[in-house]
Amino acid sequence: MTDFKESLGMYLIAFGVIAFIFAQSLFFIVKSWKHGKELGIKKETMINTITSSILFSIAPAISILVTVFVLAKALGVILPWIRLTVIGNLAYETVAAETALNNLGGSLSMEIDDMKQFSTVIWAMTIGSVFPLTFLPIVCKKLQNKIGGAVSKNEKTKKLGDILAAAAFIGIISAFIARAINGCTVVKEPVLDAAGNPALNEAGEKIMQSVIKESAGLLSILTLVFAIVIMLILMLLCKKIKALEKFESFAMPLAMFAAMGCAVLFSKILPQDLAGFTWYEIGGVLK
Amino acid sequence: MSKSKNYFDKVHVWGAVWNYSALLMMLMVPVASSILLSTWPSLGIMGKVIATLAPLYWVTGIIEVVTYVPMLGAGGTYLSFVTGNISNLKLPCGLNAMENAKVHPNTEEGEVISTISIAVSSLTTTVVIAVGVLAFAMVFDSASNNPTFQAAFNNVLPALFGALGASYFAKHWKLGITPVICGVLVLFISPATGVGVLMFVTIIASLIAAFIIYKDLWLDDFKAMRAKKKAEKAK
Repeated sequence: MTDFKESLGMYLIAFGVIAFIFAQSLFFIVKSWKHGKELGIKKETMINTITSSILFSIAPAISILVTVFVLAKALGVILPWIRLTVIGNLAYETVAAETALNNLGGSLSMEIDDMKQFSTVIWAMTIGSVFPLTFLPIVCKKLQNKIGGAVSKNEKTKKLGDILAAAAFIGIISAFIARAINGCTVVKEPVLDAAGNPALNEAGEKIMQSVIKESAGLLSILTLVFAIVIMLILMLLCKKIKALEKFESFAMPLAMFAAMGCAVLFSKILPQDLAGFTWYEIGGVLK
Repeated sequence: MSKSKNYFDKVHVWGAVWNYSALLMMLMVPVASSILLSTWPSLGIMGKVIATLAPLYWVTGIIEVVTYVPMLGAGGTYLSFVTGNISNLKLPCGLNAMENAKVHPNTEEGEVISTISIAVSSLTTTVVIAVGVLAFAMVFDSASNNPTFQAAFNNVLPALFGALGASYFAKHWKLGITPVICGVLVLFISPATGVGVLMFVTIIASLIAAFIIYKDLWLDDFKAMRAKKKAEKAK
């Protein structure tokens, strides 16, 4: 492991970023809590919101943690840690880092031991992702006033507003459900020649190909189906059994963990060919 | 109403201050690391990198702002755009909290609940990542390569959106069919379509389906508006 990627200075930068996120989050919690009290929202409701949000966030946070370690192979642990704590998500950060490294003749599949490459990657990741922050405060209020205005007219318009909000959200969920059914993730990588060096085209540029890194398959579909079924059962139980009513907010994270458990179970009990079956071959090239 | 306006106005002022502070803080990360390493990227290379990334990131950035802002609430928006992972964590978390508390987006109650939920989610994520990095940095190679964990974490998104989808589909099952079919069809033609573009397609499909399925609602409203205008003109 090369030292400069995980020096004390880099740790201090990471702690600085974390301190900022803590300050911002706590500021908004305090202000909202106070206003919630003024509005007469029950303390129990707000505590429930906190508990269920913690439970809801643990599994995705662990999956983000895993992606920190995926990027850590090339970038050391601190840079991915910082980038995935603020704004970043794996897809953006991977593309930014890979683009920067390709321009310098490197790749994320190798450990970076050149300071200039590392510095370029940090700048590329930052400049790529901070763009929304430059104009968000200018448009946020206008966008919300428009929506707020649209939903606060008469009863029918209000109902239509609720339906459209639900439809927009169902649209988001559907994209992820469709990807769990038949999507795949590709990463652009250079084509290698017989000697293992990047092949070049007539203009002297690297020839790139789309290599499949993730793909939907039997396991993703089973996880999706079980998540839906378990959630429906839990919702039904909470509705039918009075004593379980107060646990309704925990149904969602519980169903999510249970479905992830099912994924592990199926990966163990199904024959390997079947459990590992994906529509697109991992490591293959997408035409 | 005026009190409500005051609160939302305040949130936008706090949000703008935190937003630009975050922008400054984030730009300080590469500056500080370049000073620390005593090396700066060459302008030529950075120009090339930005030319490649800008169309992709900046267009997605605009789409994200337009798509998410109306659903996240004011405070939730400012927090989410700083801490990221919006579509796979902050947005579902905020909406789930509002659903549980039986409050609606774009109301003061919805604003309070979604902001608390997204702030708590940001804290939880930050703590889990920090503790995880500090605790597992030494053993991360074996953990990230453990096939048992891989099966679970490779399938976080199907598990998350399956469970979340079930609660919405149970209530609005009619709305769910069209966007899922559209999404699957797009991926059938172009399997590597990124989630940002795919989401744009499925949201449009879902809204069109909602307009067709619930046409009585907006047609009546539209007719009433026209009648009102006619009556006003006649006067």
